[in-house]
Amino acid sequence: MNVVVKNSIRFVIFVLLQALVFNQIEIGFGIHLMVQPLFIMLLPFETGIFTLMILGFFLGLIIDIFSNTYGLHASSLLIMAYLRPIIFKFYGPREGYDPLKEPSIFDMGSRWFLFVFGYLLLIHHFWYFLVEIFRFDQFLLILQKTIFSVIISYLLCIVLQTFIIKKSKAK
Amino acid sequence: MRNFIAFFKRFRVFLFFAVLQIVALSWHIRYLSFPKNQYLTTASAVTGKVLEVENDVTKHFNLSKNNVNLQSENISLRKKIPQSLYQINRKLFKIQDTVFEQQYEYIPATVVNSSVTRRNNYFTINAGSKQGIKREMGVFSDKGVVGVIHNVSEHYSVVKTVLTKDINIDVTIEPIGLFGFLKWNGHDAKKGSVTGISNDLKIKRWSRVVTKGGSGIFPKGMPVGKVYETKPVEGEPLWDVVVLFSENFRTLQNVYVIKNLLIDEQKALEKQIPPDEEEEDL
Repeated sequence: MNVVVKNSIRFVIFVLLQALVFNQIEIGFGIHLMVQPLFIMLLPFETGIFTLMILGFFLGLIIDIFSNTYGLHASSLLIMAYLRPIIFKFYGPREGYDPLKEPSIFDMGSRWFLFVFGYLLLIHHFWYFLVEIFRFDQFLLILQKTIFSVIISYLLCIVLQTFIIKKSKAK
Repeated sequence: MRNFIAFFKRFRVFLFFAVLQIVALSWHIRYLSFPKNQYLTTASAVTGKVLEVENDVTKHFNLSKNNVNLQSENISLRKKIPQSLYQINRKLFKIQDTVFEQQYEYIPATVVNSSVTRRNNYFTINAGSKQGIKREMGVFSDKGVVGVIHNVSEHYSVVKTVLTKDINIDVTIEPIGLFGFLKWNGHDAKKGSVTGISNDLKIKRWSRVVTKGGSGIFPKGMPVGKVYETKPVEGEPLWDVVVLFSENFRTLQNVYVIKNLLIDEQKALEKQIPPDEEEEDL
């Protein structure tokens, strides 16, 4: 399937998932489930940085509209999109990435995915809660929310990949 | 000039990033306090509709509990007005009376989207300017105060709940009559705090916290919650009063919007007060 079509469908799926399902789930302990970073993560290796940033910005914007967060998701997805090539380069193989592969846990292996996606998710969540709370006397609360949310969102993203990627390959 | 272009070429990725980041953050900062339009919030028609459809599905999860709540509210209202059982339903009603003039009217609405875990929590309700809702109207439920209307479109409105950073509803702690402002620290959706209470008076646990009704947004004496504990504020002769909200915001569905018929009169009168030289720091 065409890359553009595939990712457009994914874009819609992630917006609906986040806005209608995960925004409504409230676990407590300050956990806020966010799965939309996975969309930025799963874009092909050769995606340019400008495309990454524009897609991140607009995905965030639409999710913001649905959750009344006014630019918070846009800002945090943007910072994740900006840092994705840097972290990819740092953890990449010496001869560069294979353009036929996808940056998913199945193609790249769990060890690579653990570090790369872990760092990106950590940055995304930390920035999100930092801007949302924006008080340094509540830094411990920011850290608590970040760590708990990252762990749960991470596990959720791994589960989600099995659904999304298997489906896209079958077509 | 050539250096200038070279600079742009070299840092174009970062500049692009910075521009978008500034757009997002300025949007965030501006909309928190001064919402200008409803296009980019859940009050807009498209997102409001989508969330209403979603609520149509999920509202049934709490249906029996909400029915019990509404029923108990109905019972208490029936006790008060035994002869007008059917006038107190969903429509506005007016009483022609020369002794009492109607000051507050109530518009019913349903919460279609809500959150309680963020730092600033907003609810979307399915009533808008067509029902006569305007900005800065109060919102309450059968148990207590919910928030203030933040943003209105034709069919929907966004409520800034008491679970936001600077909600500042003026409240009273009941038997003593102390005034303070309601705040929320972002930790727990069950507890808020009241600031500005001087510590020379003792406050009993479980004394009721109600609205003061000074700003004309809420009527006087509407329940907010109960005092849970009082903590001293370091370096100031003030109590930090922790309030246990009487409303459970996680399962909230049916709310009422308060329309103060005399608000324009009150505001026009208060405008005549000369402004202070120094800005008050609240």
